[in-house]
Amino acid sequence: MPIGRRLGVCLLALGGVLAATGAALAQSDKLEGPLIRPAVSSKDPRDLSGVWFIRSYNRQINATTGRVPDLTALGKSERDRRVQAEKDGTPVADASAYCWPHGVPRVMNSPYPIQIIQKPGETLIVHEVAHNVRHVYMDVPHSNPVKTAFMGESVGHWEGDTLVIDTLGVDPRTWIDEVGLIHGTKLHTVERIRKVEDGHTLENQVFIEDPDYYPHPWYMRDTYAWRPDLRIAEYSCEENNRNAPVNGHTVAK
Amino acid sequence: MTMKALLGAAALALLGSTASAQPFYKAPPAQDFDGVWLIQNAPQALKATDGKLPPMTPAAAKIYQDHLAARKAGKPDFDSIQQCWPHGFPRILTANYPIEIFMEPKQVTFIHEVHHFPRLVFLDAQPVKIDDRDQNWMGFSTGHWEGDTLVVFTAGFNDKTVLDPAGLPHTTDLEVTEHIKKTDADTLEDLVTFHDPKMYSKDWSTSLTYKRQPGRRLAEYVCTDVNPEASPK
Repeated sequence: MPIGRRLGVCLLALGGVLAATGAALAQSDKLEGPLIRPAVSSKDPRDLSGVWFIRSYNRQINATTGRVPDLTALGKSERDRRVQAEKDGTPVADASAYCWPHGVPRVMNSPYPIQIIQKPGETLIVHEVAHNVRHVYMDVPHSNPVKTAFMGESVGHWEGDTLVIDTLGVDPRTWIDEVGLIHGTKLHTVERIRKVEDGHTLENQVFIEDPDYYPHPWYMRDTYAWRPDLRIAEYSCEENNRNAPVNGHTVAK
Repeated sequence: MTMKALLGAAALALLGSTASAQPFYKAPPAQDFDGVWLIQNAPQALKATDGKLPPMTPAAAKIYQDHLAARKAGKPDFDSIQQCWPHGFPRILTANYPIEIFMEPKQVTFIHEVHHFPRLVFLDAQPVKIDDRDQNWMGFSTGHWEGDTLVVFTAGFNDKTVLDPAGLPHTTDLEVTEHIKKTDADTLEDLVTFHDPKMYSKDWSTSLTYKRQPGRRLAEYVCTDVNPEASPK
């Protein structure tokens, strides 16, 4: 595995302490090795299997309006508090700083490769970052009640050539971005994932609602490049976590 | 056949191709390990297939005795999972948690519930030459089929893990070869062979058995959340 991705581990966790995004981005759109898979994803629009890598990763997530989504008073005060803490050099620790799973939709916005594996009844997403794993159970309803988990509970179905993933029950200790968009127990996301650009690219349009933090639902959009040259590498956050939080704040060691 | 019937047949064929547009690979039944599996009688102390302890070198025997004593004294500091560090391979094979297996033509994917750790076995890759190996927790796994047996070779380990909870040691030279096969529709057998000459005077094997868990989903297991001792404050 390229050393650059390994270094990205600690840089990323440092958040605002270091300006890490440039270093991470430099890795993301460049083929590094011989091809393992075909140069373009298969012609079958429902075959999403393979390795993908986010384009235009950014620590801050904007709504599709190009701006930070509208926030309720609570959402604004929580975001402001995090932004200020980071300016003060004492970032508030998010789930990833504790080596907890990143949650949804945050995990879809990391500068590390992801691998999609499909079988009847389940779509699996293996994320290199922090060995996050997403199980999406197909063509079944949500559990009642949904059990809270860092990654929530995801169920999916196909609408034409779009994979629709509905997620509830995401642990409110996870954030939506790495700056200060957070959520509570009411978070509901609907992802619409499809191949575009003749299989070179995967698009994920994400509907996000949580009335406690956002006065109205909003959308974010990510795209991922087909990466026939990559295998998912090992990533251990737990070993030697150099940014282990102290009293809820991330520290650099 | 009339033109109308031809068009109808073409429309049906189109519909059919849409309805059956399932890209999923389905392995032949004897090679289909798809599903959720749970180890049987999860061993605390691995034994070789002859029922005895493996043939340890004097150096390994000393380390093993130290580990047994540390465990007995309630201070198993040698054990990586005390700090929520990975079990590593092959230790994770014996953890008493379910494993979900995904079959693809070029990859067999094991998702371990414990620590939500994945292991990817690449069927389209060659083992890495000794001098080029990384030292990882899980090593680098390559596999191929011999009949209906999946043969997996894994190497490239760090030396921070042990082979079993009791504490059988290994070095970074460890090489593990598995022969995985279904012995019936609901039983998976993994014959695991260890090669690590500094610790074991000859190669040895142990046999692990897994049973299918119909309808079971993997739960989310987050060590640094459920284990406050190992979790940062």
